[in-house]
Amino acid sequence: MSMYESINGRRTFIKKMAMLSAMTAAASMFPGIVFASEQEKGIEDNGNLDWKKGPCRFCGVGCGILVGTENGKAVAVKGDPNSSVNKGLLCVKGYHQIMCIQSKDRLEHALVKKNGRYVKTPLNEALDIVANKMKSTIDTHGKDSVAMYTSGQSTIPEGYVASKLMKGAIGTNNLDCNARLCMASAVAGFLTTFGADEPMGCYEDIDHADYFVTWGNNMAEMHPVLFSRMLEQKSLRGAKIIDFATRTTRSSTASDRSILFEPQTDLAVANAICYEIIKNGWMNKSFVEKHCNFSKGITNMGYGLEDNYKFTDKPEKIDFEAYKEFLKDYSPEKVSKYSKVSVKDIKYLAAIYGDPNKKVVSFWCMGVNQHTRGTWMNNLIYNMHLLTGKISQPGNGPFSLTGQPSACGTAREVGTFTHKLPKGVVMNEKHRKLAAKIWKVPYERIPSKPTYHATEMFRAVDRGDIKFIWTQATNPLVSLPKTGRYRPAMEKESCFVVVSDVFPTPTSDVADVILPAAWHIEKSGLYGNSERRTQHWNKMVEAPGEATEDAWMFIEVAKRMGYGDLFPYSKENHVEEIYNEYKQFHEGAKHGMAPLEVLKKESGVIWPYVNGKSTQWRFNSKYDPACDNGEAFHFYGKPDGKAVIWQRPFEEAPEKPDNEYPFWLNTGRVVEHWHTGSMTRRIPVLHQAMPNAYVEFHPDDAKKLGIRNGESIKVSSRRGSCVLPASINERGLPTIGQVFVPFFDENMLINDVTIDAFCPISKEPDYKKCAVKVEKV
Amino acid sequence: MRKRLGIISFFVVIFIAFIVVWNYSYQQGLEEAYTPVIETPTGNFIPSERGVFLRFENSNLDYSNMPVDENHQRSLDDYYENRAYPGAPPSIPHPVKKERSLGGNTCIQCHQNGGFVEKFNAYAPVTPHPEMVNCRQCHVTKNTNTTFREFTFAKAEPPKIGEGVNNAMPGSPPMIPHQLQMRESCISCHAGPSAPKEIRVSHPERINCRQCHLPQTNKPLQRIDADAFLRQFDKLNEK
Repeated sequence: MSMYESINGRRTFIKKMAMLSAMTAAASMFPGIVFASEQEKGIEDNGNLDWKKGPCRFCGVGCGILVGTENGKAVAVKGDPNSSVNKGLLCVKGYHQIMCIQSKDRLEHALVKKNGRYVKTPLNEALDIVANKMKSTIDTHGKDSVAMYTSGQSTIPEGYVASKLMKGAIGTNNLDCNARLCMASAVAGFLTTFGADEPMGCYEDIDHADYFVTWGNNMAEMHPVLFSRMLEQKSLRGAKIIDFATRTTRSSTASDRSILFEPQTDLAVANAICYEIIKNGWMNKSFVEKHCNFSKGITNMGYGLEDNYKFTDKPEKIDFEAYKEFLKDYSPEKVSKYSKVSVKDIKYLAAIYGDPNKKVVSFWCMGVNQHTRGTWMNNLIYNMHLLTGKISQPGNGPFSLTGQPSACGTAREVGTFTHKLPKGVVMNEKHRKLAAKIWKVPYERIPSKPTYHATEMFRAVDRGDIKFIWTQATNPLVSLPKTGRYRPAMEKESCFVVVSDVFPTPTSDVADVILPAAWHIEKSGLYGNSERRTQHWNKMVEAPGEATEDAWMFIEVAKRMGYGDLFPYSKENHVEEIYNEYKQFHEGAKHGMAPLEVLKKESGVIWPYVNGKSTQWRFNSKYDPACDNGEAFHFYGKPDGKAVIWQRPFEEAPEKPDNEYPFWLNTGRVVEHWHTGSMTRRIPVLHQAMPNAYVEFHPDDAKKLGIRNGESIKVSSRRGSCVLPASINERGLPTIGQVFVPFFDENMLINDVTIDAFCPISKEPDYKKCAVKVEKV
Repeated sequence: MRKRLGIISFFVVIFIAFIVVWNYSYQQGLEEAYTPVIETPTGNFIPSERGVFLRFENSNLDYSNMPVDENHQRSLDDYYENRAYPGAPPSIPHPVKKERSLGGNTCIQCHQNGGFVEKFNAYAPVTPHPEMVNCRQCHVTKNTNTTFREFTFAKAEPPKIGEGVNNAMPGSPPMIPHQLQMRESCISCHAGPSAPKEIRVSHPERINCRQCHLPQTNKPLQRIDADAFLRQFDKLNEK
């Protein structure tokens, strides 16, 4: 590392290496990095670039980047060698991220729809229109007729002022965010099992684990930098990667073992693993006795397909014997029949978790979270780790990954969900009182009842209950499930739509006012990644035209609505002022955030930050100063300090392939594009490598249907259809009876086809399973 | 007597040790053996994806600690020398052992993992597709320098290399300027002593090459100011 630190440009680096090589007597004989002088030819001199640190704009891994600027423009990106997340490595999206901001269709000015046409409007006037409309809507239809839909890509200060404006100033819980579509099940899983959100471990676990079990998670494409860290351990120490999935992917080809299962049966396989652990005496009895409770909840919860669906779980304590009895239905032999996983493979997986001498990390992301039983699936993975006591130790633990750069930092920690407050939930009087105190508002103003989660929010727009909605840094009309319903809903006259974004998207197509937002490096901010790492960056370049920070646009609107005294921040310094105010919410050993001076210096700091030190492994008294029960472990999120092992059964998916719709549809991402592609498709390198979406077939299915590569295929469900070129034996390989479509392409909207069923506990939709038919067109 | 006792106790120790070892290995043997079940449905692999990782798994070569022999390294000119056009299978520039063989085992001996060949004073290039054993289906020897008739076939220019040619920004990772078919295993040609010096990678230990390097063969790469993906945004025409 030290060599990297002292060298600031690739050119100087190469020069030094070349010199070094000349100096070495046996010029040829030094290992590792060698640059032939030929490679140096024609390299532009970029030694004078000004490099500034920050986090990557894309996924939840949260790599540290260095952005090189020249004459006020960002011209280069490299991995930050000081960041312990990525140690100088990035993925192809990360390296090219800054290219998107110079796209020619960048939103540089506010646009207001007048007589069906968008008219360029000074930002001040546009903000007047937004504030007036919001105010008049509240006056006529009440507080709950206005809503805000934000993003896991909003910075911490942006999320904070959004929450303060909606919940503290206006007094409505109509605030939710797109992280509902990706992380809600993880949150519900953490809260039900541990009573405290976010992973207990950190990425350093990768350096210690003997086994990585990935649950429905194509990390080679979706979390490539972490996957590279795993591959490094594989070649250094012989660590093993086990890929448990419904589709053969790049990750499967790189793993030591690829195990495929029938969609939805992960619930049963996880229970079968627990069954084997107990049956073979692999359970860590003293750990379970000291640190775990057993509980069950309501079953047959439904799938939230109908409007105004409500569900509240009723947890009920059970004993170990009852749990053991429940598991009898999940012997490997029984589960093997419908999961299509062989008995041997189930036993193999169980033996990995069960072996007391092997350290295991489980990774998962959307495969487990975007699941109509997503909360249950999260609980079940924790069960395996709790039963064996493999948790909260270096190299041992369940690790829930995130998809957005600040899904943790903003959506989860600041709490831009309808039920959340920066600390705790709106239902809790103590939490409301704390928020009211810090916000300096009367506590009665914060409503105690959650309102709409993401899917229900757009249903309310459709029904006409919401008459004003403001979205920021998100593209719901590409990313929501069943967009076929929600696009016409947003187009209705009954709802006034404000969209803040950097680029035009299908969502801004339906806006009444479009506000031009500054991109990540055009503003200062803070993000929080999957391993509880908070990362600060300073503004690096000026935003074009009138493009402005989202946080500042909120503040301007708040002032115009008469809440100026609650938002006394300055334009130059608002990021710091807001962070320092927000920090008060989390004071203490359980969630203390690092002070700004530290964050400015370091390439990210993990919370809880206690006495100048990061807590890398929570709940383990060796590492976590918040543990105070005198035992080795303390799950202090729960009142009795014990984690919960949940009895969660296997239940069917809401829609299964049948005669009319014979295929499973799975959706997801590719390495080149990030989410709805509004940024990555504007990066030439990435667009040229992956210009459009496709529908993947298993070769046997393709043969049976007579489908050849590249042919146009219509994929339709009971909700809508989408035409895409067929892809056979290319990027991925779905199991027989399944098709896969990436969702980045706004010209091929696969979410017109998906189902808006969700997990009743977390309210997170399932994008991975619905029934479709396919036909050549 | 003492001597005898010594001998007896020596054998006793040996015997006990035998019992212990025997018991231990017996116990070990009792553990249920796990044999992975290989149930591969037809075509359960992805041709364009699998090659990247294969060499790391199947060879025990430590690419990151491989010395570079500057006196015997190939140049990119050498590389293209025995190819009819960029992307064509190279001809065999040396006499072959068995004229009648497919190649297979014979060729693979040197070309699977490479290594220095005294006779040719060079490192054997590594094939990116060692699983294809009918080598001489595509690779032929060169037994004459003459041509049957004069010809006008002009060899196409190979893809250009160097900073600013295949990469979009200063210092950003270069994209792949060639076809990948049968060349999915990047490090075969981009690492090790036989790699052409101009295209030898500085970080062969990174394994997942296509995390950063993508195939770009359709069009020349465009710089920052170029259009990538623009929306046909009629409604915004007053912008």
